[in-house]
Amino acid sequence: MADAAAPQTGVVGPTSAPDDVLRVEHIAKRFGPVTALKDVNLHLKQGEVLGLLGDNGAGKSTLIKIICGFQKADAGKMWLRGEPYEPKSVDDARAHGIETVYQDLALIDELSVYHNLFLRKERVHRPVPLLSNRQMKREARAALDDIGINIPRIDVAVARLSGGQRQAIAVARTVNSDADILLLDEPLAAMGAKEGAQILDLVARLKDEGRVSIIMILHNYVHVLQACDRVSMIQDGAIALDKPTAETSVEELTDIVVNEYRRAREEAHRAEAEAASGGAAASGGAAASEGASGA
Amino acid sequence: MQEHRALPGGRAILERLISLREGSIIVVTVIVAVYFSANTSTFFTGSNFETLLPYFAPLAILGAGEVFVLILGEVDLSIGAMYMFAPIVFYKLDTAGLGLVPSIILSMLICMAVGAITGSFVAILGVSSFVTSLGMLFGFEGLSLILSHGTPVATPGAQVHSTIVQVHHVVNGHSITLPEKVNHVGTFAKIFGAGIYSELIWAIAIVLILQVVLTFTRWGLYTVAIGSNKLGAAEAGVKVKLVTIRNFVLAALLAGLVGVFEAIRSQTIQPDPSGPNELLLIAIAGAVIGGTLLSGGSGTVVGAFIGALFLGILKDGLILQGVNANYLLFYTGIAIIVAMTANVYVARARRGHSGSG
Repeated sequence: MADAAAPQTGVVGPTSAPDDVLRVEHIAKRFGPVTALKDVNLHLKQGEVLGLLGDNGAGKSTLIKIICGFQKADAGKMWLRGEPYEPKSVDDARAHGIETVYQDLALIDELSVYHNLFLRKERVHRPVPLLSNRQMKREARAALDDIGINIPRIDVAVARLSGGQRQAIAVARTVNSDADILLLDEPLAAMGAKEGAQILDLVARLKDEGRVSIIMILHNYVHVLQACDRVSMIQDGAIALDKPTAETSVEELTDIVVNEYRRAREEAHRAEAEAASGGAAASGGAAASEGASGA
Repeated sequence: MQEHRALPGGRAILERLISLREGSIIVVTVIVAVYFSANTSTFFTGSNFETLLPYFAPLAILGAGEVFVLILGEVDLSIGAMYMFAPIVFYKLDTAGLGLVPSIILSMLICMAVGAITGSFVAILGVSSFVTSLGMLFGFEGLSLILSHGTPVATPGAQVHSTIVQVHHVVNGHSITLPEKVNHVGTFAKIFGAGIYSELIWAIAIVLILQVVLTFTRWGLYTVAIGSNKLGAAEAGVKVKLVTIRNFVLAALLAGLVGVFEAIRSQTIQPDPSGPNELLLIAIAGAVIGGTLLSGGSGTVVGAFIGALFLGILKDGLILQGVNANYLLFYTGIAIIVAMTANVYVARARRGHSGSG
């Protein structure tokens, strides 16, 4: 029935590679009546940058939040460096070396730049655990310089920063850690071209260093092909494509999305037609709409 | 980036003061204090400080705990109930033969447990803190009435002993000896509220410690984080439920402590909810005019202290000026609105001020 010329948009089953740091199999998640993830299979190799694509509502952010321990999956299994992995909390995931930049950034407007950078990783004095603000400021400054992000003042509240600067702080927070797996949920969302390029440069540098493995949600296909080693596309709660970026192209990625749109539209039409023709004429209505799509 | 901190002239100091969260209430409090000093002969006297202090110190302690809840973006009305409940529990435990100090400690632990219940309803079940704490307020004031049968009793450990001492006087060159009555309260009572400066010392110590906790510890940092961005704090790994419950426990503990102080100071335990109900609202008002946002995310314990001081000075000053008692509440209401309005404008001016944090 599907056009022979169109790329296959099946569901990718569990795959793995010998040097996987993270493996995710058959993950499912529902929120009440809404199914966010049906059956997601994903793997991340050591030192790799994996681009995660998919429409709004396809379940990308939900997947990230399950991996980072913020939400629990209803079904499915995960493995981290070969060991079964079931994060109990964000702290637990962090202890396993996983850091996350959330889509909403999870920045605290009222707190200063350096307090945000060190939230849940505060430096404190001994033996009385008072915050060592001086040490945090110094380390924050060094980390931001190292990353190459220009924030003039780190003792001002984050509320005063621009969208791009806020995004940069959120990314810097994950990079400035011992984590070896970074999950970046749309790290370029609020950024201009120049700031976005800075973040992509940073990702490229991290990749060259080879210490961390990264899953990055992006919208721009050009960015994906430029910055990622491999791309996975979530459609309708499952992985519809998993390919090295070298073997795919903007055209192929676009085609998959266009096909998905066509399929979704036909499904909607069919449902409408069925509803219109009522129960008795249901099969006839379905046949008619199939004929229309074949034409 | 603007360097206008270089030379602090008078104007710069004022600007700096205004840039503090507590700034506007400090200015307003000083103005009110100067006004009453100039207009009454009795305001700036030692004996007046002794009458003013008992009024404002309990408010400052209540406010300190409330600030931790307000910064979360929640409110705790049940502090009024803990204020009334704690001395009754203290009395029951002491009359059961537990001893004064163990009774105080155990009654405080019970208040903390009640605070944990209030906090759990808010943090775990997600019930609005206004409604939960209102329910706890009525519930525990009611329980206090039931336990005490609504009858006032003498506070344990606060009894005044009188002794007659022989005092030598020299009158017209003749030495005479006259008997005089001297009142004593025990050391226990002196420490826990009956000493003239006892509550003030407690208030200052509690406020300083909690301000340090708020500004320089993870607990304080997480409290601000939750009030500013609850989801973000949770995503960053802050244990939102734990911190929320902990802050309700703190507020309940301090309210219970103040309740016992006041019972010891006044030597009686009055099972009457009207006083606690007024006190809890004034404590919240003091915290808010001290610069703590009702919407959460920002607040100061020192500000709540100064807010309480302001309300104390106002009431005291109006009484000294001979204002008709029927007008007191009316003026207090107006003063709260005026102080709050000043705060809003100062805050707006502060935000307009770029550069100086």
